[in-house]
Amino acid sequence: MDYIYIRSLQVDYLQNNQTIAALENVNLSLPQASTGVIIGPSGCGKSTLLSILANLNPNYEGRVLLNGKTPRESRDTALILQEYGLLPWKTVWDNVKLGLQIRGIPKNKIASRTEDILKKLGLLSLRKRFPTQLSGGQRQRVAIARSLILEPKLLLMDEPFSSLDALTREEMQDLLLELWKETHLTILIITHNIEEAVFLGQKIFIMSACPGTIIQEFENPLAGDHTARGKMEFLEMCSILRSYFRRGEKDALSPACL
Amino acid sequence: MRFLPLASKILHILATIGFLLVSWQIFSILLDTPAFPPPEQAVRSFLKIFRSDLAGHLGVSFYRIMFSLVVATILGVPLGLFLGKSKKADRLSAPFIYLTYPVPKVVFLPIILILLGIGNTSKIVLITLIVFYQILVTTRDAAKNLPKEYILSIRSLRATERELYQHIYFPACLPAILTSLRLGLGTAMAVLFLVETYATREGIGFFIMDSWSSLAYDQMFAGIIAMGLMGFILYLLLDFGEKVLCSWVNP
Repeated sequence: MDYIYIRSLQVDYLQNNQTIAALENVNLSLPQASTGVIIGPSGCGKSTLLSILANLNPNYEGRVLLNGKTPRESRDTALILQEYGLLPWKTVWDNVKLGLQIRGIPKNKIASRTEDILKKLGLLSLRKRFPTQLSGGQRQRVAIARSLILEPKLLLMDEPFSSLDALTREEMQDLLLELWKETHLTILIITHNIEEAVFLGQKIFIMSACPGTIIQEFENPLAGDHTARGKMEFLEMCSILRSYFRRGEKDALSPACL
Repeated sequence: MRFLPLASKILHILATIGFLLVSWQIFSILLDTPAFPPPEQAVRSFLKIFRSDLAGHLGVSFYRIMFSLVVATILGVPLGLFLGKSKKADRLSAPFIYLTYPVPKVVFLPIILILLGIGNTSKIVLITLIVFYQILVTTRDAAKNLPKEYILSIRSLRATERELYQHIYFPACLPAILTSLRLGLGTAMAVLFLVETYATREGIGFFIMDSWSSLAYDQMFAGIIAMGLMGFILYLLLDFGEKVLCSWVNP
């Protein structure tokens, strides 16, 4: 069954009294407990798409269902933003427990669940630190802990690893896969990075800009295979994606776009 | 480990006080007038009259300053946060703030005296009014310039409005609020002196002017020392508050 179901999604916004389509006729299906990756050029509306799924943007036309519910009704979605969205004035501990606090969970339960998730992600010894005292990878772990503590069914990530160095990035990708296998989450990730898309996405969606829409969709059997990174098929898949990605980018430079 | 920075800080403060006293001494020798007594005379006078006379005036002034700062904070911070958060409210109020903010509020001293009398209320209202604006504008701007991600990340957790203030706006703007309080304190001290020179027989401002008119210059300087000390202690308190409340800024 599809966890994410999007049909004929249209999002317009006003700029200088002109209506501009941020997203046009977007169709997307992602089965439950699978991983999807969206890649596409800057400004193609990827983040707009996530904001709709995360119920941060109610102004859209078309059909959007998450496990059969509208984003507004669905309470099982977690969002991780590009710059992690951690609050610099809260310690690791306070950042992670925030979601439970807002949901009004009793204090003793908050403490034990926070401790559990921090342990699981290897963050317990850092619990008293502030985000500025952490490395990029550690910050990303905190962001993941903060989302997973709510036991979501859908995890949305907006270029989560873009500011990490190559090694840390791979480490975080491995961690994410591990967590996915363990929790059977549905995960939808936005990325600029083609290798990341092939490594993480069982389904890969390529978007073009102007109008922002999905131009191609791939099933990717290589996703989640730790040994895949160096294999021939992996590189081939990357090169196919790259050519489509370029096409999307060209659209972004077309006159209609500028 | 903790001892060393503290010791060096205290040493630094002592050295600065020493430097100020030496400069004062040099000036008093150069000026050679009874209106500018050497520090030793002023300090002696300070010690002599502190308990009998100065402490009472100091207490009144301290009360006026603290009361004004507290009221200005209670009014300015929530309103500033609200205006910074709500674009609509900000748009509506912006012309009013921009038109009234640059008007030096001390010009309202006469009218405030007429309306509120010569007691403490008029003095506190004037200081409050001035400091309130500084806190309001600084807080509003800090709230307005808050990075969007913070707000999005907690809104995606379905936080209520109150929780947005509690977890985002207030803590994020706290450093700016404390800075505005520090600036406000400087202004408040200046205004305090002014309002205490009118229609009152209490307060450190009155004490200084009274000593001046009776040509008791050593007492006048004792008053100046007292006022300086009060400001210094209030600054230290704010500093301490910042260390405790905003430890995340320089962890």
